[in-house]
Amino acid sequence: MKRRDFLKTTTALMGGLAITGTGIGVAHADGHATPVSGGTLIWGHSETTQNLDMHQTGTASTGRLLQNVHESIVTTDKDLNVVPNLASSFEVSQDGLTYTFNLRDDVMFHTGAKMTSADVKYSFERCADPATGATNFEVFNAVESIDTPDDLTVIVNLSTVNAPFLSRLAENGAGVVMPMGSGDTQGDMPVGAGPFKFVRREFGNEVELERFDDYFDGPAYLDKIISREITEPTVRLTGLRTGELHMINDIPLDRMAEFEGNDDFQTVSWFPLNFDFVNFNHDFEPFKDARVRQAFDLMLDKETLMLGALWGQGTTSASPSFPTSASYNGDISQRGQDFERARALLAEAGYAPGELKVVFKVTTNYPYHVDSAQIMLEWFRQGGVDMTIEQLTWSDWLSQVWVDKDFQVTMMNFFTLWEPDFLYYSLYHSTGGFNYRKISEPALDEMLEKARITTDSAARMDIYKDVQTYINENTLDVILWFRNGTIGAQPNVMGLDTVVQPNGSEMNFHKVWLKDA
Amino acid sequence: MRGFLTAKGIIGGGIVVIVLLTALFAPLLIPDTWATQMDMRARLSGPTLAHPLGTDQLGRDLMYRMLLGAQTSIMIAGTAVLMSLVIGLPLGVISGYFGGWIDNVLMRLVDTLLAFPALLLALTISAVLGPNLTNTIIAIGIAFTPYLARIIRGEALRVAQMPYVEAARAVGTPDTLMIIRHVLPNIMPPVIVQVTISLAFAILAEAGLSFLGLGTQPPDASWGLMIQASRDFLDVAPLTALVPGAAVAITVLGLNMFGDVLRDVLDPRTQ
Amino acid sequence: MHYIANRLLSVAFTLLLISLITFLVTNILPGDVAMVIMGTQSNPEALAGLRESLGLNDPLIAQYGRWITGILTGDWGRSLVFKEAIGPLIADKVVASALIVVMSMCIALAAAIPLGIWAAVHRDKWQDNAASTTALFGVSLPDFFWGIMLILLFARYLGWLPSSGFVHPADDFVAAVRHAFLPSLALGLGLMAHLTRMTRSTMSSILSQEFIRVARAKGLTERTVIWRYALANAIGPVMTVAGLQVGYLFGSIIVIESLFNFTGMGWLTYQALLNRDIPLIQSTVFVIAAVVMLTNLVVDLLYAAVDPRIKLP
Repeated sequence: MKRRDFLKTTTALMGGLAITGTGIGVAHADGHATPVSGGTLIWGHSETTQNLDMHQTGTASTGRLLQNVHESIVTTDKDLNVVPNLASSFEVSQDGLTYTFNLRDDVMFHTGAKMTSADVKYSFERCADPATGATNFEVFNAVESIDTPDDLTVIVNLSTVNAPFLSRLAENGAGVVMPMGSGDTQGDMPVGAGPFKFVRREFGNEVELERFDDYFDGPAYLDKIISREITEPTVRLTGLRTGELHMINDIPLDRMAEFEGNDDFQTVSWFPLNFDFVNFNHDFEPFKDARVRQAFDLMLDKETLMLGALWGQGTTSASPSFPTSASYNGDISQRGQDFERARALLAEAGYAPGELKVVFKVTTNYPYHVDSAQIMLEWFRQGGVDMTIEQLTWSDWLSQVWVDKDFQVTMMNFFTLWEPDFLYYSLYHSTGGFNYRKISEPALDEMLEKARITTDSAARMDIYKDVQTYINENTLDVILWFRNGTIGAQPNVMGLDTVVQPNGSEMNFHKVWLKDA
Repeated sequence: MRGFLTAKGIIGGGIVVIVLLTALFAPLLIPDTWATQMDMRARLSGPTLAHPLGTDQLGRDLMYRMLLGAQTSIMIAGTAVLMSLVIGLPLGVISGYFGGWIDNVLMRLVDTLLAFPALLLALTISAVLGPNLTNTIIAIGIAFTPYLARIIRGEALRVAQMPYVEAARAVGTPDTLMIIRHVLPNIMPPVIVQVTISLAFAILAEAGLSFLGLGTQPPDASWGLMIQASRDFLDVAPLTALVPGAAVAITVLGLNMFGDVLRDVLDPRTQ
Repeated sequence: MHYIANRLLSVAFTLLLISLITFLVTNILPGDVAMVIMGTQSNPEALAGLRESLGLNDPLIAQYGRWITGILTGDWGRSLVFKEAIGPLIADKVVASALIVVMSMCIALAAAIPLGIWAAVHRDKWQDNAASTTALFGVSLPDFFWGIMLILLFARYLGWLPSSGFVHPADDFVAAVRHAFLPSLALGLGLMAHLTRMTRSTMSSILSQEFIRVARAKGLTERTVIWRYALANAIGPVMTVAGLQVGYLFGSIIVIESLFNFTGMGWLTYQALLNRDIPLIQSTVFVIAAVVMLTNLVVDLLYAAVDPRIKLP
């Protein structure tokens, strides 16, 4: 993607989300509409929520819902700077080893209890405890002790410098504050300090949330949210069309064009929701040779692939860094399709056409991945690779590819990880938690370790830019694109521009209201 | 043989022959690439000169995919039913012919398996083995075995109780000879009818499994897979579902009609 | 009573076998629930901790023992992925599935009986062919294909019925039936074919019997003969076949419920399978097999009570 186009898109994102449709855009611009309280919003949610424990759940769908129930100790503004939330202020000591959080004294939990430093200590310790099985427990690896000198002060002492520590706390997964002792019941009855109380879940069917009147940032407008879990896209669309649903997330990609031109509905599309990449198993003999990886990269026409699989609902990119974040390296670019060079590289590496047999494992969890794989398959075959596809259910993909690392080529998406350490260390360090490709590059390891202990922010970001160049030059993965997120809604749903959170993947209904409530 | 010459027999038999010929010859006459060729400018298109039955979401020709899909569907269904016959026939014959405790044990097992709905069983097996062509066949084959075994056992039991069979046994004819000479020929007509009907069900089962993502794998064309892929595009491009749907419907209809006629001709007892 | 005692005993034995098969098969399922819970965020240490706390490291025998004792004592455990107690979860979902099973049965019978009679009365005429071809069409299309077509027609284009979801009959009966209607119709169309065929053959054999001829000779109208005399005798066998179709229905609901987002047993089983949620798979599969088994038992007993050839001394 060209730098200039990129900036254009970014501006659109920064200036608020691109909104089309009737009413809403105008109403907000004129400032005429005054929010009213009341009403129940019926949301067609694209996924089934699972374990409702914020610490344990690893699925984005569940996090998306719990975003409304929980609050984290700090959060980010739209430029992804860490800003106060449950803590009204925070300080980091000069040596980067001591974090002091001063808590607000007006935060109430849904239980009716007031939040104190003991709750924060409880939540952090619960997350850090391996027995909890928290997905983000490694955030607290360097934590030596947590002190609570008074009810409103929390001091976290680290044993070694961990530059990304504060940023990681801005996400609910690690930074969430739960009432003390609520851990055992969080799985089916989550309680937190968020704008909505969890009322009930009729499993697989719907979840009911209710306004929490004592929310520290002022009560929400909606009385209730009913989240209907409808995984079938056609059914979700039909529900919106017939008026059964006020709002749906994830409009099927091929329908966006049709919806955007339709005045009966509002659509919100934002960028980025997540990024996708093609992965090589670096332990598979042919892929140990960078020339082979590069040859595969050269067989792909990313723009056409994006148009084909995403129906244009995305933006190609050579870097997986969050596009508006300081770590994004805009100077690297994707390789264009060049079969001649690809074949030459393969020949150089010792593979005659048809000699290389490769299996592409892809999960049916993401139908557009299956489409992508089918398109790529044609190109790979054209490039002289004998490739077949294997479709896997989500759990099979996780077990074969993620854990057993038993694959040759695969494809995956990640919700945009705006914190670069989380992104690059986990994905590319030889010991990284997400390094399922068995990437082992000593030079890269060194850069990533250095970044972790670099407290100067600008210097740290420069290291990450070098990391991106390294990944690109050595074709460790083929980074494809950022995918757009989409929401469709009835005209009477107001405040849609506030729903999507800065990280692009979470949704919050605090400021949403219904015109005819 | 007059039964075949009814309207039902002609239509049913005709469909079966046409589908079989398609399954056999389409792959020889149509290059594989015609069904995988993508045309990004003509995605989800209606009928055109270039694509008489329209295209799918990747701009692939639905007609060629449907024709080539016949082979996949027929091959899977045929092999699966053959497999259930290979297991079910000896089980059923032994059980019905010998009776006694063997019968008791085998049929208790079969009854247990029958309590699992066939599709559930196939789904579970497919999940255990992992989805691919061979495993789909095995899953459907195992799931269908108890049904065939049950029917064959009933027939074998009937034959074994016939006076002339009992008489032959009384004079000491060896069991193997008895089974080959008397039991097998006599149970064949109902078994053939059942196999035809099972084929129809196996095609539906393959479609169901592929629909849930546990059957045939892309980019191979199979009717179930085509219907699965069409789900999201149904209201904008109904042909994506109608073309493979019609192929399944016509094939199964033909097999069922043919099965009915076979039953009339071969096995008049069960009118 | 000997017959009933015998049947019950064999049912108990079969249930035990079912539990064993279910348990063994689910334990050779590949994949790992601990991983599904953690998703792409999993890492070896967290996984190991989670596995231990889920009891996945215990020997198989111990796990089976724990499971079967739990089933018998009413403690069905918790779903690993969804954290919900399995017993109440299943009790809830069985209601949903029972609703569409019963409704589809009613729809199928309402269509199959008149169609079957019509075919039997006009045996070997065009009406017979038309009726059996219509019925065959019902069974020749996969039920999920019917489902898709029904969603398009009734929900998308006509807007008469909701396209998805389940409403509990106790909350709102009318809404419950409206939501269940399309999935039931999709299932009923497949079921209709078998029942039509059965009605046709039963009716035609009854219509050729002596007492029908006598009734006709006495000058009773054809309508009385068919609907009063013949149907009364045919209904038993037809209902038996209908009862035996419950097993078939429970297979079909897996696909149909997933399609309509109708959260019943079929949907739950599919979710459990997809997530490798072993305790949930075991319980759902076991319950479905047990329901099929017991329905067959009830049908058999009822049939025995009605049919004088099977003695109940």
